[in-house]
Amino acid sequence: MARSAKAVPWFLFAAGGTVLSFILPVMIFTTGIAPALGLFTDALSYDTMSAFVGNWLVKLVLLGILTLACWHAAHRLRVCAHDFGIRADTAVAVVLYGLATVGTAAAALALVSI
Amino acid sequence: MNPRKPYVRPISKTSWFMTQSRYKVYMLHEISSLFVAIYTAILIVGLIRLSQGPAAWEGWLDAVTSPIGVIFHLIAFAFALIHTTSWFKAVPQAMRIQRGEEVVPGKLIIGAHYGVLAAVSLFVLILAGVA
Amino acid sequence: MSQRTIELEVLRYRPEQDQEPFFQTYKVPCEEEWVVLDALNYVKEEMDRTLSYRWSCHMFVCGSCGMMIDSEPMLACKAFLKDYPTGKIRVEPLSNFPIERDLVVVLDDFVEKLESVKPYIIPKEERTVEQGEYLQTPAQLKAYKQYTLCINCLCCYAVCPQYGLDETFVGPAALALAHRYNMDSRDLGRAARDDVVAAAEGIWHCSFVGACSQVCPKDVDPAGAIQQAKFAHGIDYLTSFLPGGKR
Repeated sequence: MARSAKAVPWFLFAAGGTVLSFILPVMIFTTGIAPALGLFTDALSYDTMSAFVGNWLVKLVLLGILTLACWHAAHRLRVCAHDFGIRADTAVAVVLYGLATVGTAAAALALVSI
Repeated sequence: MNPRKPYVRPISKTSWFMTQSRYKVYMLHEISSLFVAIYTAILIVGLIRLSQGPAAWEGWLDAVTSPIGVIFHLIAFAFALIHTTSWFKAVPQAMRIQRGEEVVPGKLIIGAHYGVLAAVSLFVLILAGVA
Repeated sequence: MSQRTIELEVLRYRPEQDQEPFFQTYKVPCEEEWVVLDALNYVKEEMDRTLSYRWSCHMFVCGSCGMMIDSEPMLACKAFLKDYPTGKIRVEPLSNFPIERDLVVVLDDFVEKLESVKPYIIPKEERTVEQGEYLQTPAQLKAYKQYTLCINCLCCYAVCPQYGLDETFVGPAALALAHRYNMDSRDLGRAARDDVVAAAEGIWHCSFVGACSQVCPKDVDPAGAIQQAKFAHGIDYLTSFLPGGKR
């Protein structure tokens, strides 16, 4: 038995889980509940948002959060699949980590073009 | 003849977690990741729309504030809180900090985490409010 | 001292005559301060000599009498009857282990795993008796003392869903014990055990359900030990790719 490479996705899962535990509730509120309540209309307007996300520091922070979120969810869903009885772990891992890669790339590309 | 005949009790691979409430609680934490995944996808699409101009961005905002969008975000918010509370509770076990002969009490570590949560949340809310 | 009749519903299994386990009920006159083990001993002595179960110290230090009491893995000597007001108690052998006979389970799998984590001091450097004893500060002792308290009762294995679903998992107690030695200042540390501990069937199979620590009668906190090991072994793995890292 050799040292498993599972350490890598686990670290991303742990880092992502930590960051998300602090930032996720307020982010969901701000982007998903507040606008429906009519709050933050200025902040969420196209002009303000493009100026905000245009800032390179904001881009870096957002990329960090989104990347960690993708890999946290991917690893946890992999474990979830196993717990729900889906035994094809390698296939599940390829699909989920593949999706996380796509998500990371999409986030990076979108941020670069704002 | 060997009289031994050990009996293996079968376990359901798909419904084992229904047998105890502690397992159901664990599955609830795990399922929060599904909503994290969907919300992350929504955000990434939002960034893509932002890069495509005002009309695309307004379209994204409309979708987010639609009835189904609101319902999803409310559920996702609930799961985000489930994630946060269960994560904070687990930190003292995962991170055992020993100072000299004493281990830093779990309540202190968890309290500090809630402090940071409050500070970060307040910061984002104020930023969004004054922008 | 008052008496109460307790109805024990015990899972029986006699391999030489039974195809499957079945429940047998015993109505036991019990003293107020008794534990489930006392009730079982009464059954064996006065009612049914054929009932088989492991026990020894009767004071929750030997780890022999682990069993499922109302579906919760516990030491039978620590399950006080006064905590069961309905007067009906279901007693079964520890989950996730094959049943040998009645309440006795087959422990071979655990014993193999325990041996595989090398549960003994592997000294950092060879030391002769003439060099004298190891010196250890209270702080160094504190780092691992909690994990020495494991009595191998296997309640943690009985409640661990990952072990129940896949018995190649090394499991909570064995991994907590590996942690005990890795954290001991006298020991060589993680590298000595990582072929088992850092394998996929070792710490990485754990999904931090945390049930093991909830049921541990000695507060060893195997879940905590495993997560701490994940951080340490994970850093080992990541740094092994850097120049100078150990492979």
